[in-house]
Amino acid sequence: MSKERSRTGLRSGSRAWLRRHAYSFFSSIGALVRQPVVSMMTISVLAIALSLPLGLYTALDNVRELSRNWERLDSISVFLEPSQAEQDARRLASLLSTWPQVLSADPISPGMGMNELAGQTGLDANTIEPGWLAELSAEANPLPWTLEVSPLDDIDVAALAEQIRQQAGVDLVIVDLAWLQRLDALIQVFARLVELLGVLFGAAVLFVIANNIRADIQSRQEEIEVMALVGASTAYIRRPFLYSGLWMGLAGATLAWALLIGGLQLLQGPMQSLAVTYGSAASLSAPPPVLTLSMILGSGLLGILGAALAVNRQLARIKS
Amino acid sequence: MSLVSFEHVAKRYPGGVHALNDVNFSLERGEMAFLTGHSGAGKSTLLRLIALLERPSRGQVLFDGRNVTRLSRRQVPMLRRRVGVIFQDHKLLTDRKVFDNVALPLLIAGLPWSEIKRRVRAALDQVGLLAKETMQVPGLSGGEQQRVGIARAIVAKPSLLLADEPTGNLDPELSAELMQLFCTLNELGTTILIATHDIEQIRQLNRRRLELKAGQIVRDQSTMHTNGDDQYEILPSGPASHE
Ligand SMILES: Nc1ncnc2c1ncn2[C@@H]1O[C@H](COP(=O)(O)OP(=O)(O)OP(=O)(O)O)[C@@H](O)[C@H]1O
Ligand SMILES: [Mg+2]
Repeated sequence: MSKERSRTGLRSGSRAWLRRHAYSFFSSIGALVRQPVVSMMTISVLAIALSLPLGLYTALDNVRELSRNWERLDSISVFLEPSQAEQDARRLASLLSTWPQVLSADPISPGMGMNELAGQTGLDANTIEPGWLAELSAEANPLPWTLEVSPLDDIDVAALAEQIRQQAGVDLVIVDLAWLQRLDALIQVFARLVELLGVLFGAAVLFVIANNIRADIQSRQEEIEVMALVGASTAYIRRPFLYSGLWMGLAGATLAWALLIGGLQLLQGPMQSLAVTYGSAASLSAPPPVLTLSMILGSGLLGILGAALAVNRQLARIKS
Repeated sequence: MSLVSFEHVAKRYPGGVHALNDVNFSLERGEMAFLTGHSGAGKSTLLRLIALLERPSRGQVLFDGRNVTRLSRRQVPMLRRRVGVIFQDHKLLTDRKVFDNVALPLLIAGLPWSEIKRRVRAALDQVGLLAKETMQVPGLSGGEQQRVGIARAIVAKPSLLLADEPTGNLDPELSAELMQLFCTLNELGTTILIATHDIEQIRQLNRRRLELKAGQIVRDQSTMHTNGDDQYEILPSGPASHE
């Protein structure tokens, strides 16, 4: 009987607790809405602060994706000795393509090589005198027969190059990996920079919110006093401020994400024209949803933390 | 056990003002008493000590048998919820509506919204302000603001009601009406202590009267006799006689 009563007492107690939470929840929204300009300015500051590391991260992510594509295009150029004729080139090509490390090996005639060179350097039949190229390729083409060897992914390209170099009739093997390695290192430096900026701007979010809540508490000191006078516990007084911190953090990060998406939209056009000149279809991708979501939640948590910092300091001051 | 008792209580404010000096008295459950004295005699200070808005410099204040100065941080809000205070300067939230001001203690207690609405309306009705529930506080007259403060103090049905000059801003008719409200609440079981200058009112109501002078209780008079001269009991210094 008494057990029954204490259980219902407990249940009604936890219901009162829930209701108190609900009232704080709505009162925190009310406080934000009551001063829309101040709230909007704070949220904008947060959004701008957060959009910088987020934007850099996105840029880096896209560059990383592009460089992965370039690596796949990466091939080994095998220049044969000038004495080698077409059938020698074809024989070596079919030999190399039987190797397990090799995806394909294509012979390129001196004429094709000249055309390709012309295309890459922007010289073509329209910009230079007609007949000049044909003349060059027919009579005095300085290019030897060449093999374009595509290695399989994930193999030791340097070792393969060495093996090819030892084949008879091979003059020169060119693997230009250095710039890719340099790009990789550069990406890593920037990735570290983005992490650093992320931490710094996370701290900025914390302090901006803490400062905002501090000002809010100061302007509402009378209200806090009255609430304490009619029996509000410290936890009850603190709660709406923690909610405010949460709202500002969430809203700031969400706005940062919207800014980023807007920015990507603006860059999409120019990016497309750039990609066309490279003959590939490149598009900018937004950060993955998981990252976006964790940034928004993380910013919300930082908001609560900042608010807690401010509230604890200010309430201690008011009480004493 | 008395609901409130003061044992050798002294209060000295920072700056050196001795607001109370060796105050001894107790207030029984269900009692309704008046606290009188000149301006600056220490009436507000005495009430503030009970609600733990100030701490005594010496002596002890007991509420329900417990020394209030020894209450933990968590217990202080619980005590304040059992005590309704009508402040001399109202202490209303000026950026909220009348309804929200009165609802505050119930929101803090976590009552269901339907219950809050019902009780707030009942309290506003009792002080004659039901028609103004949606008004903002600054739009009210001084007397109306005072009545909002009264409604907020009684809305949570506290076991002790402390009123600091609750009828100071009201015309005689309205103040008599509110005194009647306090008497009704008292008959329903609420213990009440009212600080006031209005001797005439006390005379009519025939209740216990404590008089403060320069921080000390100089008179503790249980009832007045309408036919005789005032009979004051001059207290010797020492423990309260009501124990
Ligand atoms: N917060 C304070 N700090 C310093 N002194 C104070 C404070 N509050 C009150 N006092 C002093 O304590 C004395 C008693 O003040 P109190 O407010 O208790 O008087 P009161 O009887 O309520 O007067 P009134 O009838 O004018 O309201 C006064 O001399 C006052 O100046
Ligand atoms: Mg006073």
